[in-house]
Amino acid sequence: MAESDGSALPATLDELAAYGDHVVQYSPDYSLCAGCETCAIMCGLTHFGVTGPHVSGVHVNLGTRDCIHTIEACLQCKDRPCYEACPKKGQAMCYDPDTDVTYVDQGHCIGCGKCMRACKFEPSRITLRRAEKRKGWRAVKCDLCRGKEGMPACITYCPVRCIGLASDSVLVEAGMHPAEPNAL
Amino acid sequence: MPNYTIDDIRDAEGNDQHLLGYSGKIARIDLTTGEVSLMSTYDYVPKYVGGRMVINRIFFDEVAPGTGAFDEGNKFIYMSGPTTGVGIPAGGRSAACAVGAANSPEQYAWGNIGGWFATELKYAGYDGLIVQGKADEPVHIRIEDDKIEILPADDLWGLRVHQAQAALEERYGHEFKSMVIGPAGENLVRIASITTGNDCVFAKGGFGAVWGSKKLKAITVRGSGVLAPADMEKLEYLRFNMNNPGMRPSPVLHMTEIGVPGAEFPVNYDRGNVACSPGCNQHCNALLMDGRSAFGDERVNHIEKCVSICTFDYRTDIPTTVGMFWPTKENYCAPCKLLSREFPEPDFSDPDFEGQGTPIAPDTLNFWGPDYDRGTIVNDLCNEYGIDKWEVIIFMMPWLAMCKEEGLFDGMDLGCESPIDVESEAFLREFIENLVYRRGEYGDLFAEGMARAIRKLGYERFSETIYHGRRSQMLGGKRTDLPVSLEAAWGQSVHWQGRGFEGAIEKPTWLAMSLINMVSTRDAQTVEHFHCKYDYHEAAMADPYHCPHTIDAIVHTQNAAEIKDSVMSCEWQSPDLWWPTMEAEMYAAATGYPMTEDELNDAAYRSKLLFRAILIRNHGRCRRMEMESIWRILCVPDSWNEVADWQSWNEMVDLYYEARGWDLETGWPYRETYERYGLADVADEMGRLGLLPERPAERWRDYGEPPFVQFAENRKLEPDWEG
Repeated sequence: MAESDGSALPATLDELAAYGDHVVQYSPDYSLCAGCETCAIMCGLTHFGVTGPHVSGVHVNLGTRDCIHTIEACLQCKDRPCYEACPKKGQAMCYDPDTDVTYVDQGHCIGCGKCMRACKFEPSRITLRRAEKRKGWRAVKCDLCRGKEGMPACITYCPVRCIGLASDSVLVEAGMHPAEPNAL
Repeated sequence: MPNYTIDDIRDAEGNDQHLLGYSGKIARIDLTTGEVSLMSTYDYVPKYVGGRMVINRIFFDEVAPGTGAFDEGNKFIYMSGPTTGVGIPAGGRSAACAVGAANSPEQYAWGNIGGWFATELKYAGYDGLIVQGKADEPVHIRIEDDKIEILPADDLWGLRVHQAQAALEERYGHEFKSMVIGPAGENLVRIASITTGNDCVFAKGGFGAVWGSKKLKAITVRGSGVLAPADMEKLEYLRFNMNNPGMRPSPVLHMTEIGVPGAEFPVNYDRGNVACSPGCNQHCNALLMDGRSAFGDERVNHIEKCVSICTFDYRTDIPTTVGMFWPTKENYCAPCKLLSREFPEPDFSDPDFEGQGTPIAPDTLNFWGPDYDRGTIVNDLCNEYGIDKWEVIIFMMPWLAMCKEEGLFDGMDLGCESPIDVESEAFLREFIENLVYRRGEYGDLFAEGMARAIRKLGYERFSETIYHGRRSQMLGGKRTDLPVSLEAAWGQSVHWQGRGFEGAIEKPTWLAMSLINMVSTRDAQTVEHFHCKYDYHEAAMADPYHCPHTIDAIVHTQNAAEIKDSVMSCEWQSPDLWWPTMEAEMYAAATGYPMTEDELNDAAYRSKLLFRAILIRNHGRCRRMEMESIWRILCVPDSWNEVADWQSWNEMVDLYYEARGWDLETGWPYRETYERYGLADVADEMGRLGLLPERPAERWRDYGEPPFVQFAENRKLEPDWEG
C-alpha cells in the first residue's frame, strides 16, 4: 500500500503488517454495506451516550446515487503518528502495548487537534467533538471499544455483518479483503 | 446553536419534561419575506409525539380554508420524530404535509420518506421545517447549524435530480444532505416528487410541484450537533428484536431472473440490499446494480422497492396468499424481510399453516412483456426527472396499454413522433419527457396527472371503456372486465384494491383497503396496508361488510399509520400485530417519557381527528363526497367477478364512522369526539363554522341512490354479462 496516497487502504497481508488489529469492511461479495450507519451511531452511543457526526470513531462515507458506502475507521498504525503528535502523549493519546491499540483518554485530551492532522489517512480517522459544557474540544478515534467485553460496538450491532476485525476475518486469510468497496 | 451534549437537550428551554430524542426546534422559513424564525418542538410534544401529528396540529392552526396547492398560503411542513437518527430501527424516516398537487381535487396530503436528510437536520438542531410563502426567483435553502440561508438557485434550476444533488455536494461538501426536485417539479407537473441523495422520495402528494410553485429547488443541510436517546438498554433490545434482524452477511448476488413471482424471465444483473435511512436494522431497498441509464452511456445503480418490479414485465399481477393480510403469529413475516428476501423458514407447526398459506393466483393482465432494460430506463426517467413512479407504472402505462388494445388511440399520436407503444423505450421516453417539460398540447395535458388528463380527453371514452384483456386465474382464465383507467379515490390509482394493480385479493381485504383510501386524500397504501389477524379471517369472509373485527383492524391500521409517521417508524417494520407496545417502547427509548400503548393510540386518534377537521374545514369533506370518490372502483369486478353492493357498503361505512365517533350522514366528528382526545379548541372552531353535527334522534340510514358509473353500464352491454 502506498501510504503517500492517504485514500488508499491496505490490500494485502503484507501491507496489513503495518497496522494493528482494526475494523475492516468486507468485500461486497461477502456482504454489502447497507448504509444504515449503525456502526457510527452505536459507536457514539457506546462511548458518549450521544450520536452525531463528530462523536464516532467509525465513519460511513455514504455513496450518493450509487448507494455504495465506504466504512472509514482507524487502522491502528504501528508507527502511531497521532500518538507521536500528541503534546500530552501517554496521557491524552495513549497506547496499549498489549493490544496495539492507540486510544484517547478523554479526561486528559486538550483538543488541540494535532493528532487529527497527523493522521496519514484522508479523511482523517480522528475527529474532534465538543467537550462537555461546550468548553473546548476532545479528540475521538476508534479504540476498538477497549475495556468493554466482546467485539467492538460497530461490529456487534452491524445488521449485515459487513465489518469485522482484521485479525478475526477468514476473508483476510483468503485474500478477499479489505476490498475496495467500489470494486464492483 | 445545535445540541452538543445530553444536558443541552435535556435542559433546553421549554423542555419541561426533560425529554431526549428531540432536537428541540422547528425552523420557519418564509420564502416571500426571506425571514427565518424558530419555534419550540416542546410546545407540541409529547402530546403530539412528533412527525405527522405535529404537522397536523400546525397545519390546522395556520393554513386557511380555500388554500390551493400552488397558492402562496400553502405550507410545506416537514418533521422528523424523536426516534430519528438515534439508533432505533426504522426511526430514520420523516414526514411532510401540504395541500397536495397530485390528488384530485387538491386536498391536504401527507407523505413520508427515508434518507439521511432528517438525521442531518436534527444534528443541525431542528426537528422540522415550515416552508411557507413563495420566492420570486429560483432559490435553495442552505442550513448549517444556526445559519439558515435562502440562496439563489439559478444554476441549479433545470438540473435533473442527481445532477442537482451532485452540484450541491460539489459546492458545499459531501457532508451536506439534500432534498431536491427535478425538472418536473420546476414545471409544476402535478405528480412531481422530492428526492433525497439515496433515491428516497416524497412521491404521492405531488409535493415536488408545491416546491416548484414556491421556486424552491433544494434544501441542503449539515449539522455538527448530537442526538441522544434516553434508554440504551431498551434501544439495544429494540435493535435485536424488531422484526428479527438477520445479523448476517448480505452479499451482492448475481441474478439470472427477475419479475413478478411466478412470471420471472431471464436477466443478467447484480443485486444488493441497502437501508433507506440511518439506524435501521433492516435493508429492504433492493439495489439493482450497473443498469442502463436513460442519460448517456454511464451505468447506474437503481433503488427498487415494490412497484418498480412491474416496469420490467407486467403480464400478470402480483400473486398473494391469504396470510399476507391475515397472518398467523407463527408465520407472520414483516414486509421488510420479504423485500430483502430474508423471510424465515415456514413454521409448519402452525395449526393454520394451510389456511394462511392459501395461494391467490394473480390476474393475467398482459399490459406489457418482459424487458429489463426498458424497465431500468423508465425507472431512471422517473428518478431523474423527479416524478412519481407509481403514477407512471400503475396508472399511465397500463392506461396506454389498455387504450391502445381497445383501439381508443386510433388516429391519435398523443403528441409523440414515436408510434404509441408502451413496450417501446423510445415512445415512453418521448411521452414522459413531453409531460415533464410540458411540451405541446399533450405534454401540458398529462403534466396535470392522469385523472385530470383523462377528464379533458373525454371521461367516458378514456376512463370507462372496457379492457378485454384481463383474465382471472381464480376463475380458470375467465375474462373479467376492467376499465382502461385504474383510477380509484381522489384521482389516485388502485393499490391493493382487488382490481388492477395488486388486484387478486379477497373481498374483506379490498373492502378494507378501499375504505382506508376513501377517508384519506391520496393513495394511503404506502403506510396503511391493511392487516388483521388470521383468527378473524373466517368471520370476515362470512360477512365482509359487517365483520366488527375488520372495522377494528381498519382503525388499528390507520392509527398505526399516524404513529409510524410520528414516532417515526416504517410501513415495512410496523405494526407488529403481536407486539402492540413496540412503537410505545420505541418512543420511550428515545425520549425517556413513559409512553404507553393506550396513550400513543389516543395520540393517533387525536391526529386522525385533526386530519379529518382539516379536510372538513378546508376542503368541504363529507360522506357524500367520499362515497362519490370511491364508488366507481367498487363497481369494477374483482378476481372472482364480484363487485360491491351499495347498501352493504354503506352499512360498512356506517360501522366505521361509528367506530370513529363521526356522524353517519355528514361524516363529521361530534364535539364529544374532539373533546375526548383533547381537541376542545378544534371543536369550538368547527362549531363556529357550522361544521359540528348534532346527534340525530334516530339512526340515519338515507343512503340514496349510488353514484352513476358509466363503466357499470358498459358492462351490461357485454355479450357475457352475468349481472
